[in-house]
Amino acid sequence: MRITCPHCGARDAQEFSYLGAADLQRPEGMAASEAAMADYVYQRDNPAGVHRELWYHGAGCHAWLVVTRDTRNHAITAVEPAKARKAGAAA
Amino acid sequence: MAETARSWAPRSAWAGIAQAGQIGAAGAAGVTATLLDGFGLATLIAAPGGAAALSQTVEARLGIALPTTPKIVPGASHDAIWSGPDQWLLRASTREGSGSLLESLSAQAAVSDQSDARAALRLSGPDVRDVLAKGVMLDLHPAAFAVGDAALTSIAHIGVHLWRLADGPDGSAFEIMVARSMVGSFWSWFAASAAEFGCQISIDRSTGRG
Repeated sequence: MRITCPHCGARDAQEFSYLGAADLQRPEGMAASEAAMADYVYQRDNPAGVHRELWYHGAGCHAWLVVTRDTRNHAITAVEPAKARKAGAAA
Repeated sequence: MAETARSWAPRSAWAGIAQAGQIGAAGAAGVTATLLDGFGLATLIAAPGGAAALSQTVEARLGIALPTTPKIVPGASHDAIWSGPDQWLLRASTREGSGSLLESLSAQAAVSDQSDARAALRLSGPDVRDVLAKGVMLDLHPAAFAVGDAALTSIAHIGVHLWRLADGPDGSAFEIMVARSMVGSFWSWFAASAAEFGCQISIDRSTGRG
């Protein structure tokens, strides 16, 4: 599998480390219920299809990336810097 | 009883690792390696949103803009090398003389002197791409990796920063920079990979720049 880093270009997947789902939302502070925190910490979707996930380009530019990958065939449709997402309104 | 001399003295990153001479196959060397010593090096990391302004300041001082893609921009006294989004290496011909420049840039960037933190070498020769192909996962064909292109990648699990210089008398030329603490491992990869072609090694203590 090759990931096209928006900074470095197409690189072998071994240059990257996988973290997991990109769109987890931490429940609001101390007010969160135990069940909501348990969901946030442990529960993960396991889709057969499109998945947005975090990858770290550790052997390259050291940027965190959000990769949109089809889990059935590893086809990657989008790679964007996680930083851009954080700076956006979707907080 | 002789007194033991105790003093701080600069020690080359290559000391005890590699020396001038020929390694591997005898005869005309397929690869030429020049171990670089004595260059000055600093990392620049722009403040968020401040990359363009930093680049303008660098251009005013050094006549070179900071590249926004993986490139090396050579200048008269310093080279600017992309090393990540909003991050660069600034390399000087000499270790001394960059102090006031770096201090003035520190108003706009996180600046950190790395002169002793990296080991660098310049590679050229007819078989240079065949040697690099044993460790570099990138396509270094002239059509894919042009003069001035730079890349952060790994060789034998060692993080490297490499770029292509202007062609020299023996063809394409590359420079590779590795963390100083990894240079022993890097050299064991390089020496083994270059052996079949024969490698002529020299040391450039004067400038450290091509």
